[in-house]
Amino acid sequence: MTEAMRGEAQSLVTRANIRQGNPASAGRASAASEGPAVIDVRDLEVAYYVYGAEPTRALRNVSVRLRPGEILGLVGESGAGKTTLARAIMRVVPRPGRIERGEIFFMGTDLGAMSEAELSKLRGRDLAMIVANPRGELNPLLRIGPQIATIAEVHLGVSRKRGLEMALDMLRAVAIPDPERRLRAYPHELSGGMAQRIVIAMALICGPRFVISDDATSGLDVTVQAQVLDLLRKLVREQNTSMLYITRDIGVAANFCDRVDIIYKGEIVEDAPTEAFFSGPAHPYSNFLFAAFSHNAELRRRWMGSAPSPESDAAEALCLYADRCVKRQVRCLAEHPALRELAAGRLARCHFPVER
Amino acid sequence: MAVVRYIAGRLAFLVPQIIGIVLVSFLLIKAVPGDPATLMLGPMATPQTIAELRAQLGLDKPLPVQFLIYVDKLAHGNLGTSWQTTKPVLDDLRVRFPATLELVTYGMLLALAIGIPLGVASALGKRGPLAKLGGFYGLVAGALPDFWLALILIYIFYSLLGWVASPIGRIDVTVTTPHMITGFYTIDSLLTGNWAAFRSSVHHLILPVLTLGLVNAGPILKMTQATMERTLEADFSLYGRLCGLPEKLVIRRAFRNALPSVITIVSVLYGFLIGGAVLIEIVFSWGGAGQYAVQGVLNSDFNPVLGFVIFSALFSLVVYLIVDLIYLAIDPRIRR
Repeated sequence: MTEAMRGEAQSLVTRANIRQGNPASAGRASAASEGPAVIDVRDLEVAYYVYGAEPTRALRNVSVRLRPGEILGLVGESGAGKTTLARAIMRVVPRPGRIERGEIFFMGTDLGAMSEAELSKLRGRDLAMIVANPRGELNPLLRIGPQIATIAEVHLGVSRKRGLEMALDMLRAVAIPDPERRLRAYPHELSGGMAQRIVIAMALICGPRFVISDDATSGLDVTVQAQVLDLLRKLVREQNTSMLYITRDIGVAANFCDRVDIIYKGEIVEDAPTEAFFSGPAHPYSNFLFAAFSHNAELRRRWMGSAPSPESDAAEALCLYADRCVKRQVRCLAEHPALRELAAGRLARCHFPVER
Repeated sequence: MAVVRYIAGRLAFLVPQIIGIVLVSFLLIKAVPGDPATLMLGPMATPQTIAELRAQLGLDKPLPVQFLIYVDKLAHGNLGTSWQTTKPVLDDLRVRFPATLELVTYGMLLALAIGIPLGVASALGKRGPLAKLGGFYGLVAGALPDFWLALILIYIFYSLLGWVASPIGRIDVTVTTPHMITGFYTIDSLLTGNWAAFRSSVHHLILPVLTLGLVNAGPILKMTQATMERTLEADFSLYGRLCGLPEKLVIRRAFRNALPSVITIVSVLYGFLIGGAVLIEIVFSWGGAGQYAVQGVLNSDFNPVLGFVIFSALFSLVVYLIVDLIYLAIDPRIRR
């Protein structure tokens, strides 16, 4: 990042803080420990309405809080509701989805009460999203430079020339070789890893307060993934941005995130600081995920349950994980467990959490 | 520079394409029953005079020889003569082809002016009134026979209201035709400052152009709508919204991405209408190329038919070349 870029990012941060009436942002460590929530999702329910069928509940009572500068890992299998949560926070739930209940606060403001015009001023500026399939996300007919620059022009009101300068700085920041030439390149001329970095550059050019990375690095080679993650962490730390890092790879979450949330069938089943989580997951599903990524066959066997059953109507009455759980007991089939605190900052939704 | 080489390559390829097209249409037209000599001489002719005329026309020679003779003449710019008009086909087509082209070009422009806005509107508002109009129009335009619509329009705007000139020909008989430059009466009259001819030719164009425009806006509307719906839902459009780009900009970019498909359908329609507008030409006694070719087919007058085929083939090939150049300009993915 150049001085100018840093200045821009810094001024954004300051401006956001003034809006909030906060003192200038303190060091990351202290900010992460107290500070108000950047994103506060409360009891969010999202359902998909398919014609001629009962609506599918994609998110059940999801509450998520992110403090300034915090990186929260959201881990779960396909269909658990990760992307739905991401899109719901951005207020672009894919059709035929509908937000049924719950609130989403950004820096204390209710996003649900905002107009579409107000939201689109926030999107890309304060709330950014990095998506997978980066080549599809870039317009094939436009050069990279203008595509990145437009976002700065729209949100920061800068000229095309200044926008292109900022784009060039961003390309340098995401470590794209030969950035001057890449500005003039078209998306099809880039490799997947390169295109992913472009999308990161687009998401971060306005110095957002909050970034969602939706499975953004999973399509990359392991080596490239490591590079991109390092880069992402560096940029996020520099701008004191909070980040929701969505992944299916629990190993990446371990290395990358400050805190981990495990989501299963649209429900948060565990929430813990990364270190505590990886020294001993409390929920049986977390243990299963953990085991699935380990090379210990014995460990895998121990936690491996049966295949998930389709949604049952009685879901209210029982634990959603009961059908797969190796620790299942009678109570699990009779009573839906609440997300309860096991220790300071550690939550699990289980009647019989694993203890160590 | 690469573009110049590309165009040169495409143009060089025109010659074999034309020869292939001529060969196929030559064989097809010879397969049609009917002897021009018999038709030319009428019912009173003796077999002997018919045989003489056949020899004179070269019809007694074997087919390959006839073909080679035709190609040889063609290479010297001679398309033969039409026995119906007794004029060289080239001279006939020089007047008639621009007549059709003028009609079809304005018709296409009107079709674009109707089809694209309605198509975009119906892609945008899935339930709005404009979308309903677009959907209804797409349905109706596909089902309207063009000659029928032409007759209805004549009835309303000429017979009932009397707003337009009589639906006969390209210009009033009392008005001197403009000196031929492009063959488009509207353009030539403007270039020569012949205002009477300009007014008259515009008046004569209104109804046939309206017919062509209304009928052909249908497919353009459908294509615009379908492609726009796709590009508006494409990942890059969704991501644009996620980045907070104004909806207007997202729509504009989606339209740009839809443009290649729209241009394709336009080029196909344009090439097709050179011959496909023949019913309109007949209804309005336009004296265009399509009418000329159909008369040729009906009367075993081979040279006009072949001449028409060559002209429209050349025209289509040029249109496709231009379209490819437009693709090249708007889509960087094929620029290599």
